[in-house]
Amino acid sequence: MSEQPHQFETDAVVEFYKRDVDRTLIRENLRLTVEERFDALMKLQKFAEELQRAGREAARDDD
Amino acid sequence: MTDFRALLTLLSRESVEFIIVGGAAATAHGSARLTQDLDVVYRRSHENVARIVNALGPHNPYLRGAPPGLPFSFDERTIWAGLNFTLATSVGSLDLLGEIAGGGDYDKLLPYSISLRLYGVECLCLGLERLIYVKRAAGRPKDLEALAELEAILEERVGRD
Repeated sequence: MSEQPHQFETDAVVEFYKRDVDRTLIRENLRLTVEERFDALMKLQKFAEELQRAGREAARDDD
Repeated sequence: MTDFRALLTLLSRESVEFIIVGGAAATAHGSARLTQDLDVVYRRSHENVARIVNALGPHNPYLRGAPPGLPFSFDERTIWAGLNFTLATSVGSLDLLGEIAGGGDYDKLLPYSISLRLYGVECLCLGLERLIYVKRAAGRPKDLEALAELEAILEERVGRD
């Protein structure tokens, strides 16, 4: 099994979105091992859950 | 939180044939986007479906977002009666896909997969270029940002090689 090389045609819409991609984050991730990338994702998930919980709590306090 | 280590270990321990696709595959290739679940394309063979049931059965698989109490039984019959399942399990969210839009089934994706050693197990993951191809072919507006990032990753990788 190996990845087959593929030449992509430029898509104007995708190119437009690409301008806003933060390449510094990509470069940081490319320096990590695949396992470290998944560990970082799980930490991010945990943080997102904590933010959601805090948001819900703040909304309750507002009522 | 989805425990990727636990899910991948469970599937691999039962020798389930699967390919990581979607957001988790993007993470493997270097994406910085948050994804909440593990998407895998599984081979629809009798042996493999039995392995999936053995692997996930003890971890309370249930249809994600469905009201509790439905007569849902995660067994071989259920898998053969359906194709794609969005599951909640006790170790996180798993999308078990018989095929994906723009990419087809396990056998069609296999030649474009790469082998990863992750958390001590060997896994197959859809290659970056095929992941881009599949997302382009699926043509879903919601994928545009992810697609732009994947193409940027490809450019960055080419720039590093």
